[in-house]
Amino acid sequence: MPMDRYADMEDKLRILEDLNMMYIRQIALSLQDSDIQKKIDHEIRMRDGACKLLAACSQRDQALEAAKSLLTCNTRIMAYMSELQRMKEAQVMQRVAQRSSDAGPMDDRLPCKGKVAISDLRIPLMWKDTEYFKNKGELHRCAVFCLLQVGGEIHDTDMVMVDRTLTDICFDNTIVFSEASPGFELRVELYSCCSEEDYSAGSTSRKLASKLSSSLGRSAGKKLRVAMDPGACSPTSNGGGATLLLPVPTVAGPKYHLLAHTSLSLSHVQDSFRTHDLSISGNEECPYWVPLYGSMCCRLAAQPHCMTQQMMSGCLKVKQLGGDPQSWTNVYGVLKGTNLFCYHRQEDMEANVEPAFTIAINKETRIRASEKDPHIKAQSICISNQYGGEEVTHTLSADSREETQRWMEAFWQQFYDMSQWKQCCDDLMKIELPSPRKPALVTSKQGSLYHEMVIDTSDDISTVTDILTRRMQELELRSQLGTCPPWMSLFEDSPGGTRTPRLARHSPRSPHRLPHSPLSPLRCPWPGLLSSDASLTSDSDSPCSTSPCFRHHGWAEPLPLSSPSSHFRPRTLSLDAKLSTLRGRGYVGVLQCSCQPPSSSSLAPIPDQCVPQATLSCSSSTSSNGSSEGSHSPSSLDGTPFSRPSSARRSLRNLRAKLDPRNWLQSQV
Amino acid sequence: MSFIPGQPVTAVVQRIEIRKLRQGEHLILGFSIGGGIDQDPGQNPFSEDKSDKGIYVTRVTPEGPAEVAGLMMGDKVMQVNGWDMTMVTHDQARKRLTKKNEDVVRLLVTRKSLEQAVRHSMM
Repeated sequence: MPMDRYADMEDKLRILEDLNMMYIRQIALSLQDSDIQKKIDHEIRMRDGACKLLAACSQRDQALEAAKSLLTCNTRIMAYMSELQRMKEAQVMQRVAQRSSDAGPMDDRLPCKGKVAISDLRIPLMWKDTEYFKNKGELHRCAVFCLLQVGGEIHDTDMVMVDRTLTDICFDNTIVFSEASPGFELRVELYSCCSEEDYSAGSTSRKLASKLSSSLGRSAGKKLRVAMDPGACSPTSNGGGATLLLPVPTVAGPKYHLLAHTSLSLSHVQDSFRTHDLSISGNEECPYWVPLYGSMCCRLAAQPHCMTQQMMSGCLKVKQLGGDPQSWTNVYGVLKGTNLFCYHRQEDMEANVEPAFTIAINKETRIRASEKDPHIKAQSICISNQYGGEEVTHTLSADSREETQRWMEAFWQQFYDMSQWKQCCDDLMKIELPSPRKPALVTSKQGSLYHEMVIDTSDDISTVTDILTRRMQELELRSQLGTCPPWMSLFEDSPGGTRTPRLARHSPRSPHRLPHSPLSPLRCPWPGLLSSDASLTSDSDSPCSTSPCFRHHGWAEPLPLSSPSSHFRPRTLSLDAKLSTLRGRGYVGVLQCSCQPPSSSSLAPIPDQCVPQATLSCSSSTSSNGSSEGSHSPSSLDGTPFSRPSSARRSLRNLRAKLDPRNWLQSQV
Repeated sequence: MSFIPGQPVTAVVQRIEIRKLRQGEHLILGFSIGGGIDQDPGQNPFSEDKSDKGIYVTRVTPEGPAEVAGLMMGDKVMQVNGWDMTMVTHDQARKRLTKKNEDVVRLLVTRKSLEQAVRHSMM
């Protein structure tokens, strides 16, 4: 029978929903505002879509995204409904006020609206050191996102997966609210959801059935709504009136919980990054818990319309005080931001020509209407500013009394706006519109200490090959005596074997770079090794450290190693390949590296000159004059065949440079 | 610009907003940085206090975005887009500046001339 009751409840819910929609439509109709109606309809459609998606999807990520959309839609619906109710109440109040003739002239000066943008949201985390450093056990992951709300406008950020390798939760989105009043309240809510629970339909329906077993009266409905946790804006907060309950459709799936919230207002607006406190709900016992440090860092900027839009424009006559009483200039004046721009003609303004002159209109400006000037028919307006220590006064006169009045009104409004928007009117704050997001590579780990310290994967092979080549050198010296480990054969030319002299590597290379037999004359035994050993051993270890033949700039003398060899067995992208190329070109390549133009990523310092010195390697610049700029291009070798460093070599170099404490790294950004 | 570990640092900073320039497939800022907590601070030619492991601007490309924005050689970078730069490794600093999805970096930098200017204006 419980399933029957469940279905019964579902029907009831559906009926309630329909009734609610009818109620909403009626209200909207009476308000003659179909705008909100449309928005609600749209959100309900979105919500249905999200529910269907949630029911249909099988993957955790999809389910989390769908649940996020669901939460956002619900919150929006609640917000619209409460706005609707508020409008209805306001209408009723107004009718009441109209009937009673007590309502005197209301001196309503409303401040202008503005754009408010929040960006670069970052929430630091505070993991227990035992969890963070030991990094043992399963990675407990949570999905988090932020809901940002100003008035009726609600936006959500993208979802971020949080686990204990993350030090901060970063939201890259820039969210812009276009019509905010100076008394805005930006509510930021952080929702999280544990991403490991089992959301099987059975358990959810059981939970739901138990919730629905009591009748869906007002109190139970309230409880249900709270349990579903839609967000800040609840219709009951309007006080009195009907509980506009739009029952949340029952869906199986991940559910987000409110983890932390905070409210930002005009006083927090600044043209730089600030840290704000978060109020955290929930505790360690909750499954959706993420250890927050307790603060949030973001950039909150505002652009009031009075700073970005033309508040008033028209033809004026301007005279500077102290000038010739007849020296009136006809200008086209535009009041925008903290300035009154005066153009010679209206066309100039449209053509973006520089204004003839500009009168400042800011907090320090004094404006008053002056007495009738006998020369002018109408009243004129005096604007006084302090430039330096001097007071400069301009007198404005419009064509008619009404025009003058309108200008005065515009100035008063501007002053009022500036007093309301306070610090936002000092200077125009920049707001970057969020660029259309490319299907971005999802960096699953962001801002993690570990991952910033991770050494390039290609470096791993390099370090291995280093060790091997070093060992080869030792063995080589030993092999003079005859002993030779079996794996040495890897590096021997297989006699008679033809091969395509090509390595399956990133870029095609010309064939004649593969090393000859490793057992070549001792005089130049391991140039490849020399490079590998460079910074790991100190300079004078290997016997050939100062061998001048490798310090030759001109490549005139063909190195024995670079003689063409065409009998190598085919290599694949494997350890063998790396080893052999490193050996064959290792040294040459490293010498070459000094002449590479730097890539834009972090570069190892490159020595200015490869002069024959006792210092050995050039991959880590151990020359005493410290490191050179990444952007220097030391004399390049013409016609060198090694013009493109492999990324392995480059990262090898990088790693060397990074690890060498004698360097003072510089990076080009 | 020296600091005592554990004590808050106060500095007179200037806000510099640099818009990255696209060059091919790279977004560049046009300057070079040196320093970091993993670097040898004694080799920093720009720092006053030779134990300062902060990030310093070692070179500014002429006509580059950084120069246009007012960055000068020898500046110490305190903050980048809200992230602290006084206690980071060299590589972390570089990464903070070269995030591919950011077009604008807002730096807080300090230099000796700023402190002097403030001191003079107060006298």
